[in-house]
Parts: sequence; C-alpha cells; structure tokens
Amino acid sequence: MSTLERIGTIREAINEALHEEMQRDPTVILMGEDVGLAGGVFKVTDGLLKAFGPERVFDTPIAEAGIVGLAVGAAMTGLRPIAEIMFCDFTTLASDQIVNQAAKLPYMTAGQTKVPMVVRTAMGAGRRAAAQHSQSLQAWYCHIPGLKVVMPSTPADAKGLLISAIRDDSPVVFMEDKMMYNQKGPIPNGDYTIPLGKVRVHREGRHAVVICTSSMLYPTLEAAETLSKAGIEVMVIDPRTLSPLDTEPLIQAAKEMGHVLIVDEGYRSFGVTAEIAARIQEDAFDYLDEPVRRLGALDVPVPFAPSLEDLTIPNAAQIVELVKEMLA
Amino acid sequence: MAHEIVMPQLSLSMDKGQIVNWLKQTGDKIHTGDILLEVESDKATVEVESVESGILQIVMGPADGEIPVGSVIAYALAEAEAPVVVSSTVLPSTKTVVDSEPVQITPSSGGNSQQLRRLPSSPAARRKAAELQIDWQQATGTGRDGRIKERDVLRFAQELVESASLKIASSDSIQLTPVAKRIADNFGLDNASLAKLIPGKTKIEGDDVEAAIRKLVGERQALSSPLASLAPIRPAALAAPRHEAMGAVRKRIAERMMQSARTYAPVTLTTEIDASELVCLREALKSDPHVTAAPSYNVLITKMVAKALCEYPVLNASLEGGEVVYWPTVNIGLAVDTQRGLVVPVVRDVAVKSVNELTREMEDLLSRAAQGEATGDELTGGTFTITNLGVQDIDAFTPIINPPECAVLGVGRLRKRMAVVNDQPAVRTMLVLSLTFDHRLVDGAPAARFLQRVKELLEKPYLWSL
Amino acid sequence: MTSAIAVKCVTGKKSNLAKEALLEMYRRMVMIRKFEETVYDVYSRGTMPGLAHLYTGMEAVAVGVCSNLKATDNITSTHRGHGHLLAKGGKPNRMFAELLGKAAGYNRGKGGSMHIVDMSLGILGANGIVAGGMGIGAGAALSAKVLHEDRVSVIFFGDGALNEGLFYETANMASLWKLPVVYVMENNTYGEYTSTERSTAGNGPDRAEAMKIPAVSVDGNDILAVYEAARWAIDQARAGKGPGFIECHTYRWRGHHMGDQGDTYGYRSQAEIETWMKKDPIPRFGHQLQTENLIDAAGLAAIDDEVQKLITEAVEFAKEAPYPDPSEIYEHVYP
Repeated sequence: MSTLERIGTIREAINEALHEEMQRDPTVILMGEDVGLAGGVFKVTDGLLKAFGPERVFDTPIAEAGIVGLAVGAAMTGLRPIAEIMFCDFTTLASDQIVNQAAKLPYMTAGQTKVPMVVRTAMGAGRRAAAQHSQSLQAWYCHIPGLKVVMPSTPADAKGLLISAIRDDSPVVFMEDKMMYNQKGPIPNGDYTIPLGKVRVHREGRHAVVICTSSMLYPTLEAAETLSKAGIEVMVIDPRTLSPLDTEPLIQAAKEMGHVLIVDEGYRSFGVTAEIAARIQEDAFDYLDEPVRRLGALDVPVPFAPSLEDLTIPNAAQIVELVKEMLA
Repeated sequence: MAHEIVMPQLSLSMDKGQIVNWLKQTGDKIHTGDILLEVESDKATVEVESVESGILQIVMGPADGEIPVGSVIAYALAEAEAPVVVSSTVLPSTKTVVDSEPVQITPSSGGNSQQLRRLPSSPAARRKAAELQIDWQQATGTGRDGRIKERDVLRFAQELVESASLKIASSDSIQLTPVAKRIADNFGLDNASLAKLIPGKTKIEGDDVEAAIRKLVGERQALSSPLASLAPIRPAALAAPRHEAMGAVRKRIAERMMQSARTYAPVTLTTEIDASELVCLREALKSDPHVTAAPSYNVLITKMVAKALCEYPVLNASLEGGEVVYWPTVNIGLAVDTQRGLVVPVVRDVAVKSVNELTREMEDLLSRAAQGEATGDELTGGTFTITNLGVQDIDAFTPIINPPECAVLGVGRLRKRMAVVNDQPAVRTMLVLSLTFDHRLVDGAPAARFLQRVKELLEKPYLWSL
Repeated sequence: MTSAIAVKCVTGKKSNLAKEALLEMYRRMVMIRKFEETVYDVYSRGTMPGLAHLYTGMEAVAVGVCSNLKATDNITSTHRGHGHLLAKGGKPNRMFAELLGKAAGYNRGKGGSMHIVDMSLGILGANGIVAGGMGIGAGAALSAKVLHEDRVSVIFFGDGALNEGLFYETANMASLWKLPVVYVMENNTYGEYTSTERSTAGNGPDRAEAMKIPAVSVDGNDILAVYEAARWAIDQARAGKGPGFIECHTYRWRGHHMGDQGDTYGYRSQAEIETWMKKDPIPRFGHQLQTENLIDAAGLAAIDDEVQKLITEAVEFAKEAPYPDPSEIYEHVYP
C-alpha cells in the first residue's frame, strides 16, 4: 500500500469530493431531500451541513421538480448547485427541468446562458426495493443533447469524476449505484480530477472485449478471471462517462478483438448497450468476427421477490457464457 | 503442443548465428538427435541436433541473416497439429503464413456464385480473405451454424501455402554439383534464383544451369533490341554485381587483421634455407615399413619452431597492458585455408610432445579445421603461428601477426633450385621462411637469431638428436 | 382576497413619479403594442416561421412591473413574452430578428419567440413550458440570497400556470427560505382555450397566502395600480421579507397564438373582446397624463411616430439580416 493512495469506499470518495469542492468553491451548494441534517439516506452527504451551514446545504421539501428547477435557475445566475434526487426513478418527476430546461437553455440561447448543475442520483437493482426504486435510467438522459451522463464504478473514479462534473459548465447527471456505496478501492491522496469523456481500461485481453458500466464492472471482472482459467483473456473497458461517449478506444478494441460484449444495468431494450453496439458495428464492421452481444436487465419492471429480482440483473455467469458462445 | 526450436548458443562469445543450411524440410518427421541444420557462429560452422521429435515447421532460414541466439527458428509440431501462426502484434499477422507470391484461386463462375454468397461468414473473415487474396467461400466454417470465421480463413490460407510450397523445392535444400556451382557463380545466380528457374529439382547439374541461363537469355532477348542477339553471352550481360554479406568468420578475420595492423610494429625477415636434408629425412621416414604414419613437413617444421622458441622465449610472449607476458607453453597455431576463410587451430604444448604425437594430433586437427569442424577451444590459446603458402607456390611473403602473439612464421614452397655447395653448383631443395615479428617486443637482431636457429635446425636434422 | 397582510387596492391614485418616468412608461406600452401588431401583420403574410403568442392588450402589466426593476434584477417570462422582454429593455430589432430565425437575433435564431434571453438585462428567458419560469425564477432568487447580491426575481405567469405543480413546489420553498421572488400572475381569464372558471378552483391570491406569501389583486389595465402593487412586493422582497404575489386582472385581445383566429376554437365571444378593448390601458394612461398636464395630444402623437419609426426600422433590420450558418448547428450544445 503506497503512501500515494489509501483504501476507501465509494461513499467516502463522494463525500470527500463534495467536501473538497465546497471548500474550494463558495458557489457550490447542495440541495435535496434529507441531505443536510440526516446526512443523506445513503449517508453520502454526512457532515456537509455541519461544515458549510444552512446557507449552502439545503434540506428541501419533497419536490423533485422544484428542487431541480431551483437548481437550474441558481446555476444560470452564478451558483454551481448539486441537486440530489434520492432514487433515479424520481428523476421522472423532474424531467422537464432536466430535459426541457437545463439541457436546452445554453443551446436555445446560443450560449448566453450556462447551467453548471449536477444532478446526483442513485440507480441500480438488488436492494429488494421493487420496481419504482430500482431502475437504471441512464439511457434516457444519454439520449438528450446538452446533458452529460457520468457513472463511476470505483472509489477513485467516483471522487475524480464528481469533482470534474461539479467544475463542468454543462448540466451533468451523476448516477451512483445504490448497491455499491460500500465498495472499497484505492483513492489517490491529494488533489486530482478525472476528465469527463474518457474510458478506463481495467484489464487487457486478447480474445474479446467486454464493455461494462457502473457496478457491472464487478461481475465482469469476476467473469474475466473465470474465463482466464479457461485460457480466454478478455479486455475490460468501463466508459465511465456515458455521454459524451469516448467511442474511439471502444472501436479500436472491437477491431483488435473482433468479439464484443456490452453489459449495462438498464433494461436491455432501447438502451445504452444498443447505442454502443450500433456505433461499433458502424465503425468496426469489417473487423467483427461475431455480432456484437448485449447484456442488460430483463425487460420487466424490477420484481420484489429476491428470487425474481436476482434473475433480472446481469451476473458473472451470464457474462462467461456469452463470451464462450462468441468464441465457440 | 508445438515445441520451439531456437538459435542455439554455440560458443560463449556467440550472440548471433547465421543459418547456413537446413538439412530437413518443413513437414519432415524429426526425432531427437537428428541433425537439423548447420549454423555458422563467429568461429565455425556447426551442425545442430534436434532435441525434440515431431513434424518440423521451419520459420527462419539462411535469407534471414544473423539471428539472435534464443530466437525461434522452427517448431516441432505434434502429429496433425496446425502450423503455428507467427505474429508479433495482437492483430493476427499474415507475415509468415503466405509466401511472397500469394496463391490465387478464383471462385467458380456461373449459377453457383449466387448460392455460395449466402454462406454465413463474418466481416472479419471476408476482410482477411481480401487481404490474403483468397476466396473465403472455399474455406470450411467452424463457427455457429457452420459460419466461416477469421480463423477458418487463416487456416485455409495456410493449407493453400503448404500444398503449393511442396511443389517448389525450398531454396535451402537444392544441391549443386561443383560444375553447376561454378557456372551459377559466374553468372551471379544464387540458390534462390536457381530454385525458381529450375523448379522441381533438388540436385542441380551444370546442364540444368546452362539450360536455365539460355532460357533466361531468350526471355530477355525477346524484350531487348535485335542487335543484342548477335552479341556473345557474357557474364556481365546476365549478372548484376553480386552482393554477399560478410560471413561471421570473415568478419572476425577482418577485425583481427585490422587490429594487428593498427597496434603492431611489424617487421618481416626472410631467409632461404636448404631443406634438402629435411627432405631426405622425410623420404626415409616415409619409406620405412616400421613407420606407420610419417610426419608431414608441417609437423617437422612445427616441432623445430617450438624448440627454437624455447630458446628464444621472447618470441613466444605477448605485450599486455605495458607488460611482457612470457607464456609457459608453446602453443602453435597453424593457419588453415577453409571455404569460409582462414582458421587457425592450435596445437598445445608442442615442445613436450613427440613427433609421433604431433603427427597424430595435427592430422586430425587440421583436417577437421579444414572442414570447419574444429571446436571453439581448439581455435584459441595460440602463442605463435605458422602459416604455410607453399602449396600455392609462394616463396617469401609478409604474414600478419595473429594478436596477441609476438610473431608469425610464413613457410614457402619446397623448390628444387640451383644452389652453390662447397663452391660447386648443385641442385638443392630450397625453402624460404618469412618471419614477421613485433618490433615493440623484440629487436631485429634477436629475431634474426631466432630465425637463424630455425634455419639451422631445419637444415641439419642431425642436431635434433641433441 | 384576504385580510391582514393584503395591501389595499390602488386605483386611479395620483402618481408621484417623475414626468420622465411616466412618459417612458407610456412609450414602452406603445412600443409593445406596435411591436405585437407588427408581428401580427408579418406573421399573417406567412413570412414568419413558428409560433407567435401576442401580448396585445396586456401592456400595462409588463410595463407597470418592470418600471420598478433595475437591469440587474431578474425576470422570467412565458411563451407570451414579447411584452416582458420589451418592458425590461429588450431591443426590438434583435427581438424581431430572433422571431424571424436570423443570426442577428438575441439567440442567433436558435431559440425563437419563446426562448429569448438577454442576460445583460437580467432577462432569464421566455419559456415554452407553461410555468417553466417558476423554477428558474426562484432559483435566481436563491442564488441572490446565497451570493448576497441585491437581486430581485420577478416571475411572470398566467392563470393557466397557476395550476402547474411546479408553482407550488417552488413557491413553497421560496416562502420557506424567504427568497426575494415576486410572483406576477397575469390573469387574462383564459388558459389557452379554457377559462379560469372552468379550470381553477379558488384563486391565485388565496393559494399564495396558503403558503404564507402575502398577495394583492389589482386592475391589470391600470398601469399605476400595477406599478404600486409591484413596488410593494419588490420592496419587501428586496428587504429580505420573502416573496410577494400580485394578481393582475387583464385580457389578451388576440388569440392564444397566431393560429387561434376569430371563432376557430369557439371559446370566447367577440362581444367580450370588444368590452375589454374599451379598457385599452394605453389611451387610458395617455388620457391620465394629459389630465395631469404632463403631455398634450401632439406630444402623444410624437411618441407614437417615434416608436413607429423604431419598430419599422427593427423589422427592416430583421428582414435583411442573414440566417445562421449551418456550421453553427453543433455550437452551444455544451458551453
């Protein structure tokens, strides 16, 4: 363990990012339900009210559209608000503010306005929270020009990317996996940022490439180990920023491996995996030895029963099987 | 599982080797102990044995020049194993799969092509096939639903190459008769060109080469002016200047000669000796039925030189870092002309060995050295060198000292000449000796005295009894 | 309308504004009227793309409110925003160019009528979403508070927007946190083609007061009444006492938008329109000014001509301006 980094959780990483940026930049404010006094339902914003006071940390009423609406107006007039929407399922209530206002104002006004706002929200299934508290709606926001969508998978990525998102002048939807807040990993000491719009390669490979988002990194790495024992080496790439997507390295990997699998926790149909697959087949067509394969959540509302819910989430065994199928 | 066959390390100083000749071909069944190929190191050409058994897949050959020790030069494959695809990048490379002339097979025309296009195949497979200029539709698919994948195209390509290459004898394995070689050399035709001009033959004779040349001339004449057909066939008209890389042995000789020329202060003394008595002695030894092996002149001269060196030790010394090192034994190197150049095998401790011993040793050593088969140890450790150009009718010459030695003795031819003996003309067998010595170590007079002693010993063999 | 915190209606009161200010208010109303009527004309000839929602008849509200504001104060507007933009100081030529989709427009032709913004005048935009200005306006007030800037945020909205959820969410927070917001409800009795009678249970001021926001109701065609009510609300917001709510009763002469002509949707009568046209705020104010001896008929006519000339030039400017280059299409997606 070097002195240049330490082990921390994703929760700690995000908390640090918020602390450090609010310390550094007095225009950063935090608003959302239970984010202040209670420290956030996932305890991610713990300590911030104490550190920065009620002038900068706002416990809001339950009013998602209002929360994001205020954040938009504040962002247009000199602040850098971070609006927390507890579950990404609830962003539906704030859709107009995110999609029609924040995403479009800079463009519609030909750059006279900017909306440097971050909407932080928790996605992902596995918590037995049922259909309205378990979705992964990243595809919706990726679809909207003018928004940026970021999904960190490791503590180091979470901290560096959140700081970059706060400093970015565009509206950013920052999606955290609610099941991964306890995930540990190295966090570099000192100041650092990770630029938006750059992938991260977690593993080099030879036979196939698996592109995975957010918490899907972990079953993918597990699958990679299993495959390695069978003599199959897969490359693992996490886009980290889904929109704008760093397509070039994905195309390059597809060309080199000829076999591609994409894993995302959104519903399989009409989602992130389809977009990446389409780009790859457009630009790496002649190098594909197999059709691009996709793995997403089942096209059903997330069921409550644990036995059923677990069936809907992509897992390592499925990844292993798909890769082997591609290479057969 | 393919076993790697690598460029072996044949001596301590060797870091690269040149493949001279493969003695087996790709596809041959090889066994442990088989001699696979000849490799030229910096010292000599050595036969390399196989450690593995299997089917040979040659990957590198003479045309690859100097290959680093440890590099893969071939594989021993298991029965029915697919050849190893040699690549250096992640993208499967086709470098060594296809020969310089890809084999082209066009798809069958007519109604069939419509049907064939519907064969399931991957884009990567079709792209690879286009690169290799082969028809992917002829490949056998091993993917799902019989889909033709890139690996199937690659395998198909290798099969094509292998079946084609069996028809063209590899240039490594053709053998030329001496006449054929001479003609080919004159016309600047190397083995690779001959293999192409004379396909299907492994043993090439002079007639073959001439026929090939006539054919070549005929082709070129068809392209050139009518007047050219009247001119006689000249080597220059056919041959471009021939370029030949310096072999390892040649390079080493060049280095050492330069080193010698640059650092030494050489002076050459010559003297003519009357070798008549020596000749008599030898003739007597040769005709005596009790003598099984009569010593050659080289043996006798070597022995006498050693004796003289014991009396004049400075000529058996070396200059090392400002110090004179007097070697404890007399180790005489004997210059041998071989196909690959000059080699100097060393006879150790000549002074203590009997003539009989020397005869036996030198016969074996010199003949092996002439074949390029002397061992590394046998080529080092000399303290004095003798070089004999008598066979080539040379009398006096200026041999170059073999560093780090002090001197070298050049021996000319035994020649019957008119000489003056007791003021009377007589026919005597004369022999010129040329001694080049390092004036840094020894002055002219002492060197001359040494040479005089050698002369004395050779002119008066009866002195040997003392 | 309720009790204790309401300010009494101000009607026909003698004004104590300087003459220049009053004349400027008159001039601004004339400018809005002529601008909108010119839009009507140009649009009717089929030479204006998109949608146009005209403010004709409601001029006193925009001018009465905005005359209280500094350039640094913010306003958010609606889809029916030309009046607010001009009242806040927007330039007719750049606005008209934007309506025609020209690069010389405020938004380089990329926004059009419903999205015009001029940050230098504190105009945070007209908005194509009903109640779209609610979040933005309250957010601007939030930033003023956090940054300790002297900035009031005026949110113009219609009776239709009163029923949007966003109003309650944001007004609740504005009241809770005492944000410097002024809610100006332009009650022209129709939300699109549906009357307030048929769409609204209760009224705006009562709903505001339910959230502890003091509210008044005024005659929206009496510019001075609007001015006084707005001043009350703006002053108390600026003093940190939190938001205020003013309901202005008014009427739009033209249809909901240019596609709503005559009896197409059959939701209001010509008689009704004519009744309101008689309450035209502009001659009403002009008459008031003459009565106060602040200007004569010739003076009013001169203002009329001057403004007409301005508008005519603005339209010429807009017509001659070039369209944005295709190469601009990807600009400003991200700042």
